[in-house]
Parts: sequence; C-alpha cells; structure tokens
Amino acid sequence: MKQPLPFDHRPDAALGDALRRALDPGDDGVAFAARLRARAEALRVGSWDAVLARWARAGVAAAVLVALATGYLVGRTGAMPAARPSVTDVLIAPPAHPREVEVVLASVIDN
Amino acid sequence: MPDPQPPRQAARIAQQDEAALVTRVVAGDRAAFGVLVERYAAVARRVARAVLGNAEDADDAAQDAMLSALVKLDQYDPRRPFGPWLLRIVANAATDRRRRRTVRHAQPLDPGLTAGGPRPDTTAERRALSERLRQALAELPERRRMAVVLFDVEGYSHAEIAGILKIPEGTVRSEVFHARRRLRALLADWKEDV
Repeated sequence: MKQPLPFDHRPDAALGDALRRALDPGDDGVAFAARLRARAEALRVGSWDAVLARWARAGVAAAVLVALATGYLVGRTGAMPAARPSVTDVLIAPPAHPREVEVVLASVIDN
Repeated sequence: MPDPQPPRQAARIAQQDEAALVTRVVAGDRAAFGVLVERYAAVARRVARAVLGNAEDADDAAQDAMLSALVKLDQYDPRRPFGPWLLRIVANAATDRRRRRTVRHAQPLDPGLTAGGPRPDTTAERRALSERLRQALAELPERRRMAVVLFDVEGYSHAEIAGILKIPEGTVRSEVFHARRRLRALLADWKEDV
C-alpha cells in the first residue's frame, strides 16, 4: 500500500518569495497594461465594425427584398384586366350620355 | 510561517467585488476592465512565465489569455471566484503557445552564474538565484511547475488549483510535493554555496 506523501499544507514563504522574484517580469507592468488596453480597444472596435457590417448586410438584403416585392406587386396590378362593373352598378350609375338614352326611348315609343 | 492566502472573509468580499467588476466590463465599462487588468496582470504573467520560461512569450500568452477572457466574459459564472477562472485560461494559452512555439535559442547564461563563481553583490546573487530557479522550473514537468507556482507563489488552495489545472486534488498535492523537493534542494545548495 502506498504511504501518503509527507506534505506541508501551508505555502512555503521562502520558496514562494524566491520563485516570485524569479518569475516577476521586473517591470511595473504599465507597458503591459497599456498594450493590453490598446488590444482590447481594437478588439472592441473590430467587434463594432463587425456588428455594423452585419447590420449593413441585413439592411441591403431587406431593401432588395422590399424592392422586389414592390416591383412584383406593381407589375401584377398593371397586367390585370380592369374589373367589369356589375349589372347593378350600371343601372344605378347616372347615364354618361342622357340625351342618347332619351332619343333611343323616343324612337322606340314612336315605333 | 505567515500564511499568504487571504482570509476567507476578505476573499469573499473580493469575489463579490469582482463579480460586480465583471458585470461592468460586460456592459462596456473600460475603467472596470482596467481594474481587472491591474489586479491580475502580474499573476497572469508569472503563471505564463512558469510555463514558457521566456518572459516575452509569457507576456504575449498572458495578453492573449486576458483578451480571450474578455471575449468570453459572458461565460464566467459570477458565483465562483474570478482568479481561478482567469488563470485556467492563462494556463491554457501558455500551454498552447508552448506547443506551437518553434524552438527558440535560449540566451546563454553567464558562465559565472552556472559555475557558482564569486558574486559581487546581493542584487547579482539574487539575479543568479532567480536564473537557477527558472532553470530548475524548466526541468520540471509543466503541470508540476504550474502547481507549485500557484500554491507557493500565488497562494491558491489545492482545490482551486485542481480546478485550474483540471486534475484531482490529490494529484495537485503530489505535484507540489515533488516540485518543492527539487526546488528546495536547489535553494539549500545555494545557501551552502553563499
């Protein structure tokens, strides 16, 4: 059976300090932070550009669809024959040439 | 021996504070992102350097990781501590960079450092010790390196390190134990030499 490792569960301050000194970059981190902020800003601008580009693409697609739909509807309306008036409409509507009707009626009565 | 790990109460306050900071960053608050960067840049750079050795590579990896974290910030669970979440990304970024990296020619060490010759002053001694420690770290397996740095330098608990490295807690203990044994031997030799 394996024996448990004799392990000190507390961080070793001396070793930790020595390692920290060995791994510390040796600067105040200002240049690092500035470069990181600049890259983050570029990333943000890039993402805004992408969003705007997406919006622009969507806008163009929508405009094309609207133009196509409008063109189709206009074309369809022009091609359709004019609707014929119903018998009722004709009877109710005032005569376009009332004198002609009177002449026709008079000739019929005379006969 | 002083315990560098923060008291639990302080850690909890910091965690709430960080959750609020992250919320602000997600909302586009640049100042909040700056605060997060200032708080974690140093630890991210050290952890990356523990993996990569080279300081410039480490900085590039730490930057990539922090930007990646910024992009993925909406995936962060604010109920959990921010540090381990970020350091997991840093560790991955550093490991990926190490795998992709073409073989670099390491700068030759000053022969005086490796030969244990006379040392002019304390600053030079410390620099030489740091160089030796970096060499010793580089000889350790990568996981062991990260485990000992996260435990002894950054003060993370075994459970937190297990979460960062995605390994069982018992493995973390074992890795820290073996790394310490090697590094302590080096430190002891150094003290005897001086």
